[in-house]
Amino acid sequence: MGEIKHVLGIFATYLGQYFKTRLAYRTDFFGELVSNLINELINLVFIVVVFQHVPLLNDWTRDEIIFIYGFFLIPYALFSMFFGFWDFNERYIIRGEMDRVLTRPLHNLAQVCLESIAPDRIFGVITGLIIMGYAAIQLDLSFTWYDPFLFVGLVVSGMLIYGGVYTAIAAISFFSDSRTGISPMIWNIQQYGRYPVDVYNKVIRFVLTYVLPFAFVGVYPAAYFLRKETWYAYAAFTPVVGIVFFSIGLVVWNWGVRKYSGAGS
Amino acid sequence: MIQVNHLQKEFRIHQARAGLGGAFRDLFSREYKTVKAVDDLSFSVEEGEMFALIGENGAGKSTTIKMLTGILNPSGGEIVINGFVPQKQREDYVRSIGVVFGQRSQLWWDLSPLESFRLLKSVYKVEEHEGQRWLDRLIEELDIGSFVSQPVRKLSLGQRMRCEVAAALIHKPRLLFLDEPTVGLDVLVKQKIREFLRNLNDTEHMTILLTTHDVTDIEALCKRVLVMDKGKLIFDGLLENLKEKWGNGTEVAFQFKKRTSAEELRTVLGELPCEIIRENDFALRVKVSRSQEMLPFVLSTVMASFDISDVKIMEASTEDIVRNIYSTDSEVVSHG
Amino acid sequence: MGKLYLELIRIRFLTLLAYRVNYYSGIIIYAINIGAYYFLWGAIYGGQQQLGGLSVEQMTAYVAIAWMSRAFYFNNIDMEMAQEVREGKVAIEMIRPYNYLSVKTAQAFGEGIFRMLFFAAPGIFLISLFIPFQFPSTPEAWGMYLLSLMFAFVINTQLNLLTGLVTFFLFRNDGMMRAKRVVVDLLSGLVLPISFFPGWAQTLMGYLPFQAINYYPSVIFTGAIPASRAWQMIGFQAIWVAVILIPIFVLWRRAQTKLVVQGG
Repeated sequence: MGEIKHVLGIFATYLGQYFKTRLAYRTDFFGELVSNLINELINLVFIVVVFQHVPLLNDWTRDEIIFIYGFFLIPYALFSMFFGFWDFNERYIIRGEMDRVLTRPLHNLAQVCLESIAPDRIFGVITGLIIMGYAAIQLDLSFTWYDPFLFVGLVVSGMLIYGGVYTAIAAISFFSDSRTGISPMIWNIQQYGRYPVDVYNKVIRFVLTYVLPFAFVGVYPAAYFLRKETWYAYAAFTPVVGIVFFSIGLVVWNWGVRKYSGAGS
Repeated sequence: MIQVNHLQKEFRIHQARAGLGGAFRDLFSREYKTVKAVDDLSFSVEEGEMFALIGENGAGKSTTIKMLTGILNPSGGEIVINGFVPQKQREDYVRSIGVVFGQRSQLWWDLSPLESFRLLKSVYKVEEHEGQRWLDRLIEELDIGSFVSQPVRKLSLGQRMRCEVAAALIHKPRLLFLDEPTVGLDVLVKQKIREFLRNLNDTEHMTILLTTHDVTDIEALCKRVLVMDKGKLIFDGLLENLKEKWGNGTEVAFQFKKRTSAEELRTVLGELPCEIIRENDFALRVKVSRSQEMLPFVLSTVMASFDISDVKIMEASTEDIVRNIYSTDSEVVSHG
Repeated sequence: MGKLYLELIRIRFLTLLAYRVNYYSGIIIYAINIGAYYFLWGAIYGGQQQLGGLSVEQMTAYVAIAWMSRAFYFNNIDMEMAQEVREGKVAIEMIRPYNYLSVKTAQAFGEGIFRMLFFAAPGIFLISLFIPFQFPSTPEAWGMYLLSLMFAFVINTQLNLLTGLVTFFLFRNDGMMRAKRVVVDLLSGLVLPISFFPGWAQTLMGYLPFQAINYYPSVIFTGAIPASRAWQMIGFQAIWVAVILIPIFVLWRRAQTKLVVQGG
């Protein structure tokens, strides 16, 4: 219990530090907000433009796709809030800040996460809710009393999936002493899973379900709320996948840290 | 307090091939060379000691510090500090140590040092009341009170460095590591930091280890010196003994009232093992190896036999000695 | 002078070769992206023969070549400039006997050549094995594509120089630079060919330089437009290059004055 209180205390302190830092550069703060918003809307533009030319995408309507996208934005925003170390390679390995992290009495991944926490990404959750809400109204969806709880559980699982995969990818830096180009990789992989997986061929569908299970971040859980019963089984599996992949990420990370301590320079 | 036995560390270093073709081949297969960065290092340190680890670039100092602080795992041998094995019990171990990396900041760049201190306090679970008293003392003794609430990016290097030291000590560690703490600082700041460290060592009995290039640091702070060269420990002992072992001995410069040649002086000194160097017709220098009896003998004999207008005794400085150590071994080119 | 820039290009080239993981991860990213968009577009077309003036085959070629072109024109020199400004390194660059902006451009060019030779060329070959893919049939078509790609590189680099120069005045503008990157990806036609946009949007985008960065070279490559229209596009690119030079020049002048007066 004391341990949890300690961690929460540190979390609050880091959060405070973050806001103090950000307020020091107000123009950039708003620049970031706008850039995130643009980034979120651009994909919406893609969907809207495409559906001006076609009525259906593999039997999915425009509003269904928009709903999936809105849902996807929420775990993604939470993920980028808590796993904001997109410059991990540059900052911690090349500039050597990992050494400092290792001389502190707190799990090193927790420190890295806390040091790069990005609470402004919470706005992504709001954007997602608005987009989802709009689509839900258009689709005339109805919800039960327990749906909000399921929603929270599925969103957290989605965040854990991204977090696990990302942690594992970032851990590649431990094995290489030079630039790894990991941040563009994250930038690019984030988008899969926000379209129905049945548009892809078998191989990609397999990859998005079992290897890099991003389908569990967007389309599978969203399909539950869209009452697409074919996907219910997948939706139910989302929390399991979340826990499994986050554990994998953690294991790879710890392995990387051991390797880093073993080699180094 | 610190026990190091037969410590080893080997690295595999990627050997880049030359030229464009070579770089292209490196994409697919690489050549490695194994380098022993630390080779069979053993020493022990008592609680409350203050000692320096010196050596040229690439001698293995940083690697050693990194192993002692638990950042790197040794490839052989063992380390026990404060009863912990650093690489096995890292999180518990690091609570008992403080580390200052001279080249790297642990302070939040955009915020004031005070904010960083607050954060570190919660990371180390520092007890509120006691911790505040200790921090107040650090702020006072390091004389950082006047700028501790300014953003770090606005501080000068000297100001920042003093804040770094405070940050490393926030949890009152029993052992403090300082890796090149005074690089690039001006004399006054250096002095302030040294004074502070000495005081800390006196009053808190804190064990302090520093690596440095700056010989004046060692002279001001440490009785004990460890010298590393190419991964090996080549000297471990008191600063005085270092002078005895590597110093060029003592030189006595005589200024004569009359013209005196080296031969005349030699006849007076007889068989004494010493070197006589002529500076000009009126000045000669006698170089004797460092030993208690020889110096008085030379002085009394020469003073008795000649008319002397001036005598200067010149002892080799630590800086000369260190240069001496490095140069004696530099036939084998070190990797660095 | 020319020798200096050649050397800069070479050094950047070698630097990139030294980062092995970076190289492999780059290949993976491009493969994933092209693959994903290929299937997505396949689903979008469904049974339809033609959308937005492009057939399925032309669309496939468009997606692949758009990403490959991006490999060449894309660079992060604005982020690099921002970092150099923040760390105060830019002051050192100022006292060197060369033009800072040209040096940055040369480095970006080295990077582009590297990615084109080591990602794009093998990548496009691999892709042509898996998906039906049509290369331009005449040397003239190839020539037009390469010329247009060259202009695309110059325009994109100019835009990066512009956002990079803004750092001299704002100190921190990572957000803006990131937003610019996303906007360029959308408005240049990387994710959507310009011809898909509604008419009013197309008219609006006609007044912006972004489609010159990707849409022009890519659509020239697919052969979906006649040669006369292609030459017209290349002409527009040349005009944009000249136009964007003006704000760069102005900002650069002011940035230099600012550095001299305030010491960065």
